[in-house]
Amino acid sequence: MPQQLIKVRPTKIELIKLKRRLSLAQRVQKIVKDRLSILTMEFLQAGRETVEAKRKLVDELSQAYRALSIATGYHGYIVLEKELIATEASVKVTAGLRNIAGVKTPSFELSKNEKSMRGYSLVDTSSCLDHAAQLSEKFLETVIELAELQRNLELLGMEINRTKRITNALEYIIIPSLQATISYLNMKFEERDREEKARLKHVKVLIARR
Amino acid sequence: MSGDLHYERVLHECLRGELRIVNAGLPRSRKTLATLLREEYPLVICSDSSIHIFKRRELEQIATILDTDEQEALLLPIFIELRVDQNEASVICQGEVEEKIISRILNMPVTSEQERITIYRPQLALLRKALKTTTQYVFSLKTVA
Repeated sequence: MPQQLIKVRPTKIELIKLKRRLSLAQRVQKIVKDRLSILTMEFLQAGRETVEAKRKLVDELSQAYRALSIATGYHGYIVLEKELIATEASVKVTAGLRNIAGVKTPSFELSKNEKSMRGYSLVDTSSCLDHAAQLSEKFLETVIELAELQRNLELLGMEINRTKRITNALEYIIIPSLQATISYLNMKFEERDREEKARLKHVKVLIARR
Repeated sequence: MSGDLHYERVLHECLRGELRIVNAGLPRSRKTLATLLREEYPLVICSDSSIHIFKRRELEQIATILDTDEQEALLLPIFIELRVDQNEASVICQGEVEEKIISRILNMPVTSEQERITIYRPQLALLRKALKTTTQYVFSLKTVA
């Protein structure tokens, strides 16, 4: 594809300006490319971790349900409901931001609950219910981890798209058009030199004839 | 010509904007690991006034590697520098504490040259996987710090 030339006056000053612009554009390109590679690396990492977290989530959920079913079978549905109806547990999640190469991503962390009591009577229940509660708490941790990873993945994906557009614009439009204009100006100057030489030779011949 | 000026300005803005965006998450001042461990919410204020929060789990993981004096010496977040004139990343380190952490995490000996530990892309991925919130990228046109 022929590159579009930038409309400039064919002067040496313009050539110097264009060369300066080219070096600036190349530096921008290097930074943007570095950033793109870092973002891609982080995106792939987040992707792998998301898959792992999802698998873990499904496993833990099935384990928690199984444990709860066993507890229900052991105590009976009505007794278990009576025990759990007044149970209340506050979940403390610390939420903040972290910056990955210019992308602000959320960061969640489940704070450990100091209270060892879960709210139900330990006398009227068995270890089956404790086990189910323990597994559910573990599951909750994974849910929070997955929420963070999934949001990171979305944000990084959007930023990669934006950065790719900038890289492509620099790589396929700005830098080639600057290079084409510089080479056009160089050719123009060479042509001018050749014309000048031919003119001088012609003048020399005319003077010699006299 | 006004077109030229506009073009130049757009390019300059693009460079400055990109540098501003990528380095916006740099902290105004770093804190030691010991200080962060004492805080209820371990965080630092960034140059764009946003907050960067550290995961306690990561801080505790680093604390297991270091002794008490080293915990007082280690400044967080650890900077990973990416320079325009280099293909590899480098970890900026002031002392041997960073070296100790990096070598433990990468499970290989590392040495610093001119206050920098050079790491390659696969190692960078490993490092970032282990220390997500306690490391930060710095993009620079030339050597910093």
